[in-house]
Amino acid sequence: MSVVAFERKQNTGEWSERELSTILAALSAATAPGTGREWETGVTEKGDVQFYLLSPLPDQACELCVSRIGGRYILEDGMGRLLFEHRNLDLVALHAKAAVPSTSWLMVRAITLWCAIRSATDEKLEPMLLEGEELFVQFVPQLAAFA
Amino acid sequence: MKRGKHQDVFTERLPGKAVPEAKQLRKLAGDWLKLRRADAELSQADLAARLGLKYYTFISQVENGFSRVPTEIMGAWANELGIEQSAFAKHLLMYYEPELHRLLFGAESK
Repeated sequence: MSVVAFERKQNTGEWSERELSTILAALSAATAPGTGREWETGVTEKGDVQFYLLSPLPDQACELCVSRIGGRYILEDGMGRLLFEHRNLDLVALHAKAAVPSTSWLMVRAITLWCAIRSATDEKLEPMLLEGEELFVQFVPQLAAFA
Repeated sequence: MKRGKHQDVFTERLPGKAVPEAKQLRKLAGDWLKLRRADAELSQADLAARLGLKYYTFISQVENGFSRVPTEIMGAWANELGIEQSAFAKHLLMYYEPELHRLLFGAESK
């Protein structure tokens, strides 16, 4: 008796642990605490699984969506634009990582902090520099006379 | 259909009325779109094909409440569901931009 080997299907149902880990590892920076981003999973009417990367509050709209259809992974943005598709989830996850809007909340905080420090130091340094400049202007003719 | 959820600690702490509202309203819009599609006897794949989309995953994304119907295909979406374009846009505006809908059409108008 021979047994026909059917291809093991994983077309519908749920994301496997490995699949979710792959996606989340690629999006670890995008979903880090402080970014305000969340993620959720869902299914289509045919039972194909979807992963949604959601923007921060208050909108919490989909920024990226990874779907699995018939062993193929589909990467789309929140406007339905097809960004990439492949059977290899690692490749799709890499594209997802690259597609995440780069201006993270942490980066904004860092830039704001840098501007605040610079503004504060400028306020203190500027009078000192002006004072030095005035002294220099006063002393230059005298130094020139000595020369 | 939502099944899993990950909550960021930072976002959990943020208060505000608008927080769940936008998401909930998008979900209501998605439910309405799903009903209208069923009325038109179309599957998600049928609708996607008619809208020129390669995959039907975006239809699911919208109906699950995670995205909006993009303005540029709103007219075509309405046509495929057999709904007048202006009525379709007006109804979706109620979910997507409730304050703008109220300003334009008043509180009574649906």
